Amino acid sequence: MTSSDQQVDSNLSQENGLAIINSKAPFSSNYGKDALDVALIFGSFEQKVSLFFQGDGVYQLIANQDASLVSIKDYLKTFSAFEFYDIEDIYVCQQSLVNRQLDEAFHINDVQVLASVEFGKALNRHQHVLRF
Amino acid sequence: MKTLAVVVTTPPYSHLTITALTYVETALAAGIKVIGVFFYQDGAMHANENISIASDEYQAIAHWQRLNQQYQLPLHICITAAEMRGIACDSIDNEQINQAFTVSGLGELVELTTKATRLVQF
Repeated sequence: MTSSDQQVDSNLSQENGLAIINSKAPFSSNYGKDALDVALIFGSFEQKVSLFFQGDGVYQLIANQDASLVSIKDYLKTFSAFEFYDIEDIYVCQQSLVNRQLDEAFHINDVQVLASVEFGKALNRHQHVLRF
Repeated sequence: MKTLAVVVTTPPYSHLTITALTYVETALAAGIKVIGVFFYQDGAMHANENISIASDEYQAIAHWQRLNQQYQLPLHICITAAEMRGIACDSIDNEQINQAFTVSGLGELVELTTKATRLVQF
């Protein structure tokens, strides 16, 4: 890689700010809500933030779930507010969906389903990564 | 100048916290500018003055305090995470809160992230 390539790459990662990886199922722990809080704060400070869903984290995107059945406040409903926070880059790992025999039926729009390599590349375009 | 910010999500009794401490101290000793440590999720428990860990075990809280004093390392706890873990954050001279820690919000995490060249999570 030449120094000018590195310069281009580092500019790219600057542009993309923070990536948040969601790797946990939605209702067995507070991780999903903790990640959501971070995402919304970054959005409200007008900082770029992208969301990645991988492993059991993909369950956070699946449509027609009812958290009230297990007496949990449904933080997943807040996902529909992403556009108001300018959170537009939402990626889900295709292999994680396949492994869990889940359809690409999500409760929010504009989710990008990416193969593992592409998922990794998208992640790599960010300067910072937090994982929940 | 390259700067480092660290996020700690593990509780004071977690062995993973030892890794975080070793990492931060090594960075500081190497002259790297660590602009702050943000304690989120179970990490917020570090600021609880009432935590008592057996004296023959690793004293994570005492080590954070030492780094805070020795290097003026800013230690921020997330108020929401702290309050849901029983640490009342309502007054400044609060005896429940270890004085080495500053009560902050997630906005501080945004601040640290935008200022840091690199952000590392434990």
